[in-house]
Amino acid sequence: MKLLPCLTASFLVLCSILSLQAQTPNKVTIQGTIEDTSGVIMPFATVMLLNPVDTTLINFTRSDEQGAFAFKNVKNTAYLFKISYIGYLPLQMRLEPHPAELHDLGVVPIKPIAHELMEVVIRTAKAPLIIRGDTIEYDATTFKVPPGSTVEDLLRRLPGIEVDADGNVKAQGQSINRLYVDGKTFFGNDPKSATKNLGAETISKVQVFDEKSEQAKLTGIDDGKKEKTMNLELKEAYKKGTFGKVTAAAGTEDRWALRGNINRFDQKQQLSFIGYGNNINETGVNWEDYSEFKGQNTYNQFDNGDFGFGGGGGRMYYFSSDGSPVNNFDGRGFTRNFGGGSNYNFDNKKTKFNASYFYNETALNLDQYSLRQTFLADNSFSNTDTVAQNEFRNSHSIATRLEQQIDSLDVLILKANVRVSGNDSKFLQNQFFTNADGSPSNSLNLDNGTMLNAWNLNSAGIFRHRFKKKGRNFAVSAGYNNSKSDGTDNLFSINQFFQATTFTDQVRQLNNRDNLNSQIKSSVLYTEPLSKILFWESFYNFSQTDNTVNRQTLDPENNNERIDNLSVYYKNRVLYNRAGTDIRYSNEGLDFSIGLAAQQLELNGEYAIDKGLPLLTDPINQKYLNLIPNADLSYEFSNNMHINTGYSYTVTEPQFSDLQPVPNVNNPAFQTVGNPDLRPERSHTVSAGLYYWNPASFSNLGFGSDLNIYDTRIVYSQTIEYVDSIGLRTIARPENVSGGYRFGNYFWGSYPIIKTKLTLNLNGNMNLSASPAFVNGIENETRNQSFGGSIGLNLTPGQKLLLGVSGDANFNNISYSIQEQQNQKIRNYSVDGSVKWQFIDRTFLESNFDYNIYRNDRFGFNQDIPIWNASIRRLIGPKNKIEVRLAAFDLLNKRVYIRQYGSQNYVNRTIADTLARYYMLSVSYNVRGYENKLKTRGMW
Amino acid sequence: MNPRSFSPLFLFLFFLLFLAFMAPQHGYAQAMEGKIRYLKVQNWTKQMSALDYMSEQQRQKMSYMWGNDSEWKTYTELYFSPTRSKYLDSDEKAEANMEGYNGRKDVYFIQRNFEQNSIHDAIQLLGKTYIVEDSLQCQSWKIKNDMKEVAGHICMNAFWRDTIKQQDITAWFALDMPNSAGPERFCGLPGMILEIDINDGAMNISADKIELMPVGEKLELPKKIKGKKIKEVDFQNVIATQIEDKRKTEQPWMWGMRY
Repeated sequence: MKLLPCLTASFLVLCSILSLQAQTPNKVTIQGTIEDTSGVIMPFATVMLLNPVDTTLINFTRSDEQGAFAFKNVKNTAYLFKISYIGYLPLQMRLEPHPAELHDLGVVPIKPIAHELMEVVIRTAKAPLIIRGDTIEYDATTFKVPPGSTVEDLLRRLPGIEVDADGNVKAQGQSINRLYVDGKTFFGNDPKSATKNLGAETISKVQVFDEKSEQAKLTGIDDGKKEKTMNLELKEAYKKGTFGKVTAAAGTEDRWALRGNINRFDQKQQLSFIGYGNNINETGVNWEDYSEFKGQNTYNQFDNGDFGFGGGGGRMYYFSSDGSPVNNFDGRGFTRNFGGGSNYNFDNKKTKFNASYFYNETALNLDQYSLRQTFLADNSFSNTDTVAQNEFRNSHSIATRLEQQIDSLDVLILKANVRVSGNDSKFLQNQFFTNADGSPSNSLNLDNGTMLNAWNLNSAGIFRHRFKKKGRNFAVSAGYNNSKSDGTDNLFSINQFFQATTFTDQVRQLNNRDNLNSQIKSSVLYTEPLSKILFWESFYNFSQTDNTVNRQTLDPENNNERIDNLSVYYKNRVLYNRAGTDIRYSNEGLDFSIGLAAQQLELNGEYAIDKGLPLLTDPINQKYLNLIPNADLSYEFSNNMHINTGYSYTVTEPQFSDLQPVPNVNNPAFQTVGNPDLRPERSHTVSAGLYYWNPASFSNLGFGSDLNIYDTRIVYSQTIEYVDSIGLRTIARPENVSGGYRFGNYFWGSYPIIKTKLTLNLNGNMNLSASPAFVNGIENETRNQSFGGSIGLNLTPGQKLLLGVSGDANFNNISYSIQEQQNQKIRNYSVDGSVKWQFIDRTFLESNFDYNIYRNDRFGFNQDIPIWNASIRRLIGPKNKIEVRLAAFDLLNKRVYIRQYGSQNYVNRTIADTLARYYMLSVSYNVRGYENKLKTRGMW
Repeated sequence: MNPRSFSPLFLFLFFLLFLAFMAPQHGYAQAMEGKIRYLKVQNWTKQMSALDYMSEQQRQKMSYMWGNDSEWKTYTELYFSPTRSKYLDSDEKAEANMEGYNGRKDVYFIQRNFEQNSIHDAIQLLGKTYIVEDSLQCQSWKIKNDMKEVAGHICMNAFWRDTIKQQDITAWFALDMPNSAGPERFCGLPGMILEIDINDGAMNISADKIELMPVGEKLELPKKIKGKKIKEVDFQNVIATQIEDKRKTEQPWMWGMRY
């Protein structure tokens, strides 16, 4: 019964399909012949069928030798039919579904493009043509005009555009009466206001097209009239902008902080300013702000001219840590800091120039307590040191660097850094000595004042040449470094003794110190490719370092007369020469090099009490010649694993202060004296590392290991004895010992337990070392074993909440061969939890809690320090440009500095006061606005 | 002497004869067989800036810090005949300071057969080698009207948006080179693709040398490439999943994956 309606329906459908097909067939063949406007047949033209809605390519063919083309049996639907042929305007027309199976377009004519445009624009200027219907536009940036030119000057150079003496513009013979800038009218209707005023370098495109007349636009009726219109497109601001931020903060306990930086840049120039001031122990800016300050020059300052393996072309002078504007607060005391500077970079690809100036100062106020226990072969003693220190240090730094690309094969780098610094410090110290049985021995009070002014200059020039032969290179460098310092130490000590024959000893000294250090150095490197994968490198390094030290120690109690046995004047010179060669193989991720260098060190020195006085010892003249081998191997596996290993042999000359035979007695209980017979330190270094990452699972893993084995090592041997007027006196003297090693291992890994949500981080390290040294003539080997590890979990339940928890433990075992019962076990543990929560739009809660445990059971030392910080911040204003933050630091008021360590024949524990609980309210303004989301990680 | 010891030699001679016989057939399509060397310029500041989670401050800072020094140039090669093409990374170095360093190259061979309508690619992705074997699937290009010259050929342009990688891609194809091949995995235009520009200069691949010559065995994939066989749609899924995961953790997806 149901069959009949079914059949009827099917029949009807079939009928309708057939009838439709009768009207417009399913398939159609589109064909035609292409000719140009003068009737010439156009063979091999590209013919395309496009989707008329979005111009997606559906089918294409080419015309044959007779200019004929055909799309056979294509779907019969609407098409955009398009023909393109070199030198002709692309033809585009809409085809509707065709009623018959053959759609013959007949002869399709195409129009040629003006020869001038093809040759001048496309071929000569390499500018793209943009075709809109019958109109052609072109990219103006490829037409070179001298700097400072106006748009008018630019237009004069464009083919097809004429500019008359009055500045009237004609395009393809027609006057331009309407001009837009970025599609908008520019200052009224006179096109000349733009063409005469805008700079040519701001323009990226000049477009000329026909636009409907104003009237047609108003009425909406196309009157067929078109006006020639020009649009000037401005260059994108990709390499241009301003960014920066400023923060002002005030808190309880008289805490305050100000910081700000602003950076402006365009394609060629960068200018930045930075400044800060605070009393919250930020001695400088953070690395992120510093890198913004230096801009693109941040990573350029590390190029030195030392060529060859091991980097060694004589020592380079680096700025000491207090000269860097990056925060380097060590956790002790209270500081008040100011700093600021400016940086300028220029870069036009051929010339890169950088100049910067930075000033910083820090006033430190420190109260510190430390306990040291010293072990002798048959005895031990301890001393507690209480220190009150006031220090003011400041520095002015100027850095410049020029990199000039001379031509495509040669580059020259010149750089110079100057730093002027000062230091004024007062140092009050009480040292209380106790014998092994706990009885007090003596109490030493020091009152020392130091003033130091220093000047440093580092300069270098590097020239590199690449030969036409690929891989053949030559480089030469020269450098001059100079530093000068002069200082005064005003030393005063009172020593009180608690033994039966109690008496007091008082010492006053005045030290005048002048140091002068200059170095010239040079290096040469030549690389010759032996094949595509084998390279031969040869290098030569030279340096000469001259050092003059004048330390005159005077006795203020005795008309400032010189104290001869504490005064020294010395001149030293180190000549360093090294020539070496190595062969390097590099292929398919395997890099291997092996080399050998001959290194000669020559040390010359003269010591006298003062300039012009007879020499204290025979002039020192030592010469060392060593052969230094070096080998490196690295390999990249195909699965993102990388391994490397290397061997090197190092010979380092002794420092001159270690060679001078006159003691330094700033602290009578702890003196150092040099050793003129010192020989260089020699060591073998073997290193290995592995790195693996799995981009698919987001996990990574790394491992590294370094082993140093010393042939000869410079260590401080100690003579500790009881001296009547001093008490327990330690004299440390550098000596060569053989033996000893250092073995460091570290490991890290990161593994997502739940991808993008929960990540496990692991870190571990193991450091083993043995250092021999003599204590009262008896060899003591100190073995230091430290093991540390941390485990952490990062949880990201959603975009609005980040949680972290981690724990770490550090074990440090120190054993002394002279007194094994004194072996130390130092333990530090910590647990950390953190939360970042965006609980309302534009409002964030951030808090972290650290629980630190310090233990040393042998001393019954056991201290727990919980630190809890919390803050809440809210973004306000348009584009979230303002941030208001209320922060509480160390809510439990427990912060204190603790350090435990053991070395040589002692163990030490230091505790220092520092900034504890305070609350702070800060307001920040960011030129670009703050992000209204949690920062999950660093920038990348 | 044992005549069997000659057999490899005979085989070799036979092979030479065979080649000699084949050679004229290769010469048949002489005009449209050859090699294109492309200069590939990657600008990683632009690549990073194109990531949608970057804030305006971060974009400004990247442009400031690295804008002038973030281009990385390499060469790639395309061998083509009227019916086939093979694309790979070149051994030639475009950066002079890379002379002397030959790192491991990721596996990347893109083979197209327009006659058999098939693709056969070997691609290292996220540390793993995939062999993509499937029917030919090219991008659905939108044809535009602009014209410019690339390596001596007048080209027209076409546009395609890669929604997975969020890339705006402009291709310039030569009107006088009737071949549907192109660099990387791009294909399917009425002329040889001589230039590809992605995200306004984040990556630009432009032909800088075109040599017409018989290419013969250069079109074959190197033997002994092991990898996981995969269909195009599954391969695209691997890419899409990775990019989405990286987006969630606000990390760039380009490490371990070709841009």
